[in-house]
Amino acid sequence: MITLSDIPARGGTPFTLPMALFVAILATAPFWLQWVGLYQYLGVEIAIWILFAMGFNLLFGYTGLHSFGHGAYLGIGAYGFGLFQHGVAVSLWGGLLAAILAATVAGAIVGAFLSHRRGIYYALLTIGFGQVFWFTAMKLHWLTGGEDGLLNIPRPDLVIGPWRVNLNDNAAFYWFVAGITAVAVVLMWRVVNAPVGRILQAIRQNETRARFVGYDVWRWKWLAFTVSAAFAGLAGGLFAMAQQSAYPDVMSLHQSGVIVMMVLVGGGLVSFWGPVLGVILYFIARDVLGGLTEAWLLWYGLIFVVMVMVRPEGLAGLIHTMARRAPPAVAPAAKPETV
Amino acid sequence: MAQSKISRRRLLTTAAAATGGMAFMGPWMHTRVYAQATAKPIRIGITSDASGQYANSGAEDRRGMMMAIAEANAKGGVLGRKIETFHLDTETTPATGSRVAERMITRENCGFLVGAIHSGVANAISQVAQKYGVIYLNTNSSAPSEAGQNCHRVKFVFDANGSNFAKAAVQASIEKFGKKWVLLTNDYVWGHSTAAATKALLKQFGGEMIEEILVPQGTRDFSSQLLKIQQLKPGAVAAAIGGDDQKAMRQQIAQLGMGDKTAWINNQQDWPDVYGLPLDNLFGVFGTTWYYNLDLPGVADFVKRYKTMFPDTAIKVPGNVFYNGYWAVRELLGAIERAGSTNNIKVIKALEGHKMPARDRMQHHDAWIDPVTHQVQQSIYLATANVGTKDPDDMFKILGNTSPQEALDPDASGACKLESYESTPTFDA
Amino acid sequence: MTSLVPHVVNGLTLGLLFALIALGFTLIVGVMEVINLAHGSLFTLGAYLALSTIGAGWFSGTPFGIWWLDLPMASRYFIGLALGPVLAGAAGMLLELCLRPTYGKAPLYGLLLTFGAAIVVEEAIRLIWGTGEQNMPVPQMISGAFLMGGLIFSTYKFYAAGFAIVAILMVWLFLERTPYGAIIKAGAHDSEMVRALGYDLARLRLIVFGFGSALAGIAGMVMAPIWGLRPHLGIDVVIPAFLIIVIGGVGSFWGAVAAALLVGMATGITGAYAPAWSLMSMYILLIAIVGFRARGLLGRRSALEN
Repeated sequence: MITLSDIPARGGTPFTLPMALFVAILATAPFWLQWVGLYQYLGVEIAIWILFAMGFNLLFGYTGLHSFGHGAYLGIGAYGFGLFQHGVAVSLWGGLLAAILAATVAGAIVGAFLSHRRGIYYALLTIGFGQVFWFTAMKLHWLTGGEDGLLNIPRPDLVIGPWRVNLNDNAAFYWFVAGITAVAVVLMWRVVNAPVGRILQAIRQNETRARFVGYDVWRWKWLAFTVSAAFAGLAGGLFAMAQQSAYPDVMSLHQSGVIVMMVLVGGGLVSFWGPVLGVILYFIARDVLGGLTEAWLLWYGLIFVVMVMVRPEGLAGLIHTMARRAPPAVAPAAKPETV
Repeated sequence: MAQSKISRRRLLTTAAAATGGMAFMGPWMHTRVYAQATAKPIRIGITSDASGQYANSGAEDRRGMMMAIAEANAKGGVLGRKIETFHLDTETTPATGSRVAERMITRENCGFLVGAIHSGVANAISQVAQKYGVIYLNTNSSAPSEAGQNCHRVKFVFDANGSNFAKAAVQASIEKFGKKWVLLTNDYVWGHSTAAATKALLKQFGGEMIEEILVPQGTRDFSSQLLKIQQLKPGAVAAAIGGDDQKAMRQQIAQLGMGDKTAWINNQQDWPDVYGLPLDNLFGVFGTTWYYNLDLPGVADFVKRYKTMFPDTAIKVPGNVFYNGYWAVRELLGAIERAGSTNNIKVIKALEGHKMPARDRMQHHDAWIDPVTHQVQQSIYLATANVGTKDPDDMFKILGNTSPQEALDPDASGACKLESYESTPTFDA
Repeated sequence: MTSLVPHVVNGLTLGLLFALIALGFTLIVGVMEVINLAHGSLFTLGAYLALSTIGAGWFSGTPFGIWWLDLPMASRYFIGLALGPVLAGAAGMLLELCLRPTYGKAPLYGLLLTFGAAIVVEEAIRLIWGTGEQNMPVPQMISGAFLMGGLIFSTYKFYAAGFAIVAILMVWLFLERTPYGAIIKAGAHDSEMVRALGYDLARLRLIVFGFGSALAGIAGMVMAPIWGLRPHLGIDVVIPAFLIIVIGGVGSFWGAVAAALLVGMATGITGAYAPAWSLMSMYILLIAIVGFRARGLLGRRSALEN
């Protein structure tokens, strides 16, 4: 089985072919979404979840730390955004900063508990903390609205200099989200292809060896968790804007499992772009199957089980393998790039 | 639900044909263009839960809507237009509710949305619906907040809520069981708002709350709470426990045989939640908005129509959830007929303040749609287990009924601030 | 202080029931180091299978079904109690076969596969038995209530707690006092050695997983009359089972039992004196214990920590 480390790192410019394709698809989506039978709001959700899944994969795929309670940080970001709008000021950037900050703080605290742990204990504790946050969100209903959620969160206008864009229209909001997602993805690309990315991968391959080589493994693990929680918080803030509410459900064990499912099915363990494929596949499968049969989850679950059994490297791995099997094209010596 | 299955391919082609080159101009545009075609069907989006905690009630809710729609279609539809439905599972999850509502409005051209059991889902859907100006009927979510602080101009609530049931039950119960009460309250929004109504009534009628036991949502074992109640020895216990918590609790009360040892005042018991269970699960006194065995004209025929349409359903006779689903759609279609249009504002005005004679609704008192809170004010029945019955379907013994005037929640109109007509986007299905 | 006694008794019963719920889960985690997220679904499946056995769900109307329903409730119940878990165990074995490609990989794959399986089983239950609430009957002799110190207690719950003690002891004896248990435990720690000694490791794993799933099924059958029975019951099971393992320490049998009793006492007593915190008490316990003892009460170093 191939892993992320089999794919050579590339320094320098992040403007590769897959990146161009990704940005192009993201930027043009509103023009063709309805034409292929989808709808604008689905595009918004997909873009947000791509951001969440990519940030999650920094931890999951690159550092090999299997968090199974990551929905909590998405939820904290959503509450952070909503509470800022309700309690402090109606402000777009203020809200998003609050979302990032809230999730980062929560991630940093939990990360400090977690980073001594390895393997199965790491996964167990992430579930444990995820449950604590979920339960707290349900319990503090005077603050979070409990299970009814925090409602009537505004979508503040986007103000850039003299321009004021009303984000209540889903198309305008989509572009805003897509822009943030694109910037974040470029940022993440830089991170994983920088020396930091190598250190994280060294920890994944062999934590003990990484420690002997001289890396402060605890600090890197903590950092990976915190950064990934920060991205989750940003995604959560956007999600609160999309739904104009924040709900505790995204923090549940089920939802945290679903994000792992998406990343794995897409191939987050073998490719930078895996989470993107996974998120798109999940949302479209849910939308198409869900319209056809009420038992869509049964079919998706079955597909997932089979996938874990026979193709644990996911869609991206499949594409990668197929590309390798295909007869060498123009430049046979060229190594496969970040798929 | 064969009627609600629409092939994706067909949807693709109709959507593509309708939108043509203007896919980019926002979701409202193409629906409006579409609306000008003659005798285009009216599409109703059914937003009922098919999975999660309320899957079972969601299915019953949907059956109610489908019967009303089938009956309307058999008469030739409304304004000469057939009614089509599109159903998506809202998964008892608010986040899914938002997405489903967005898809139904922008992608499936649904002009109206109907269905809810879970108040969080109902809220999520109604926020989206208000944004587009699409009328949404909350059929079965009985949280007082639905017609209180979370009300919307486009949302109409067809179920009675926790406050209504408390009003119907508390005064009589103080007289009967004494003044010392214990409240058993689910520690979430619905539980607290229902308990607040009970507390206010206790104060008003000279009762005394000796303790309130808060029960966290998700509690599966009630033994310590039940022991505590025995130690406190109250005259009556007012329970506001909902969802799966309630199912676990009544099982344990039945086991202890505590159902008839303590005077239990429960909130509403939804029919799909209790149907087919042993009678000792139905402890104490509880509320309902309708019962299939009410001795009123039309009830027998209504039950017969249900049995004819759903011969294979596990629930053999209709209950309150079905009833609310059915009447929500009937009243919506009636309002479209009266308005002579599917324009949202016209239909909303036709619904607001609308009076529904007791005879039509098969209840004891006339009902109306409150123009201030958009909640249907209706008769409330108090019931208890029908011990000794031979008929397994005939589970309730109706103790009495309360008129909507008596059950009216006085605080709702203060809490509810509807959006103005002007700030509600115009929408034509 | 006399008012405290019934709550302590109640807390202990609760703790034993929690131990019963977690038993299969702890066995599979401890021996095979697979976090079986399908535990709750197998629990529910076991209860539904038992229910259909008792009520002749599959063969009602046939001559055998008519004969069957004429049998006394108690005998049908105990056959159901045996058959439901056996069938749940068979389902667990099927799951183990699916798990095989994940051995030797990160523990995550097992976790993910069982997460998928949990969804599949739950949806399958929904399709087969419907979404509605079902009632699990209990034979007359173990149902009802009794008075103790002027308070009503459930007879069934005490039987269930007694049953939990028996089940705990049986599993412990099986693991500690039979050669079979020794091999299984050795297999978990040094599979090479077990293989070298000529034991069929694949079969061992199949049996352990089947046994763990059967325990889940038994727990489901026993708990259904207390919690009620509905398709999405699984999540109510996985979370406490999971917390108990983390508190008790992965791989420690007695750690899990002790944790279950602690959790039971905590929920039982907070349930009476600070009821709003009764569920939160589990999480507080989790943070308090894991904060001080990284591997839980009696946890040992797991092979999969590396």
